[in-house]
Amino acid sequence: MAAITEPYYEALGRGRLVLQHCKACDQAVMYPRHRCPVCHERDLGWISASGRGVLLSFAVQRFGAPSGFDADTPYALGVVRLAEDVQLLGRLWPDADGEWNAYACDAPVEFHPAAPEEVLRRPVAWFRLNPR
Amino acid sequence: MTAPAPMAEAAFVGIAELPSGRYPDRSFMGSLVDVAVEAVRDAGLSMTDIDTLLLIPCLHSAADQADLVFSRVVEELGLAGRAKSSVMLHSGGSTSDNTVRTAASLIAAGHARNVLILQAEKWGSAPVGEMIDMLTANGIPREWEKASGLSFNAVGALIARRYMAVSGATAEEMASVCVALREWARLNPNAMYRDRALTVAQVLDSRLVSDPLRAFECPMMADGAVALVLTGAERARASHETWVRIAGSGGCVSHYSIGQEPDLAVLGWPTASAQAYEQAGWGPGDADIAEVYDSYAAVLAIALEGLGLAPVGDAARMFAAGDFSPGGRLPVNTNGGLLSAGHTGVGGGTALLAEAVRQLLGRAGSARQIEGAARAVCGGSGGTYMDSQVLLLERVSR
Ligand SMILES: [Zn+2]
Repeated sequence: MAAITEPYYEALGRGRLVLQHCKACDQAVMYPRHRCPVCHERDLGWISASGRGVLLSFAVQRFGAPSGFDADTPYALGVVRLAEDVQLLGRLWPDADGEWNAYACDAPVEFHPAAPEEVLRRPVAWFRLNPR
Repeated sequence: MTAPAPMAEAAFVGIAELPSGRYPDRSFMGSLVDVAVEAVRDAGLSMTDIDTLLLIPCLHSAADQADLVFSRVVEELGLAGRAKSSVMLHSGGSTSDNTVRTAASLIAAGHARNVLILQAEKWGSAPVGEMIDMLTANGIPREWEKASGLSFNAVGALIARRYMAVSGATAEEMASVCVALREWARLNPNAMYRDRALTVAQVLDSRLVSDPLRAFECPMMADGAVALVLTGAERARASHETWVRIAGSGGCVSHYSIGQEPDLAVLGWPTASAQAYEQAGWGPGDADIAEVYDSYAAVLAIALEGLGLAPVGDAARMFAAGDFSPGGRLPVNTNGGLLSAGHTGVGGGTALLAEAVRQLLGRAGSARQIEGAARAVCGGSGGTYMDSQVLLLERVSR
């Protein structure tokens, strides 16, 4: 079996956000797992995520970043709960002024991919505000 | 048929602690041996009475941690050929709670007579950058979150932001949590910041590290060492006027990675505390003190609310009103907590636990001893606040 990171990273590189899906119990699964954490069957495939969700919380890293991330500062991290009722940690696109002042807890957000080179460098899902 | 013998209830009878802070000349193994000897003497036992060693991990060095795993302490303490078991347990910041439950169970089941719990950490002397990187492998999934650049301060910031949004707590109120802990630390000769006052203005003037957290709201890594001795209640009764029993415990592992926590402002505390209070037969209103994991202000506020020690959404406001400060309604983290006594890694929770035992034994010293403290609520949490562990302790007098 291929590493479960591969289909996920490959989709991110094509500008797509995918989720695991359990065919046995029709459950979306995120983060990807070796077996379905609900019914424990192995019948897991991949589905396209809606990309829409709400921002549960976010942080803006300015100092004390892990090694290799200093050049990225400041950068924002957010926990997003998707419409499929699963959640993940991602990066947030800055506002026009380079800050994140327009973001708030429970704000609607949507997946907005980074360029393939960036995803190759850092396999992360990026989100932006979704002014519904 | 005769009735089964009553289980031997576990009793805390000895404690020892080294001051927390930066002590580059203090060796890791030397610190462990020093607190071990002091705690066993404090318990009124001989070293050879110890049959079980439960070791709390250090995080500053994989080699030093390997020494814990592979029984080096047994040789250092002269217990080779005598010790029945020496084992390291690890669940990050909740390790001491899990270790105490394990010790009590071993004693109750007759697998151990006298248990020595040992902890030492050298975070304060270790390179900060290396420790930040090491922590990104402690509770942050390398496949799904590490590439985002998540740091532990950002984990604290994600929790703080959510707590502030749902509670309406202001930046001043969050800063006041740090100030209250500093007031306690000023009364504790073992605290890293015993000599440095802190004001809300100073906190709010410090630079943003990971919004909404500012520099003075992030814990400072420290060296430290703690030892605890547990024995059976019968033995405690034979030789001690006062000891401490475990009235109840509870726990809830709510997630592994922060990205999977459904309620960042609640975590596992309500589930864990309900279990513990039910077992103890008493409630939050009966607590005389609370010693609860506090690597960030919001982490402590959320825990106090889940433990029923503050109404939901009010904990930070109550800190600002002085309710949890020296002289306040309920003394909280009377050693200064991780935020002001020093973050000794896994040991931060161990120091809080030792402080609870010390207070209940009436040995916290005149400056910060809570008169008549008989019941303590202790809470710990590991990794990305993956679990909420509760120990309810009470004083027993012969
Ligand atoms: Zn399933």
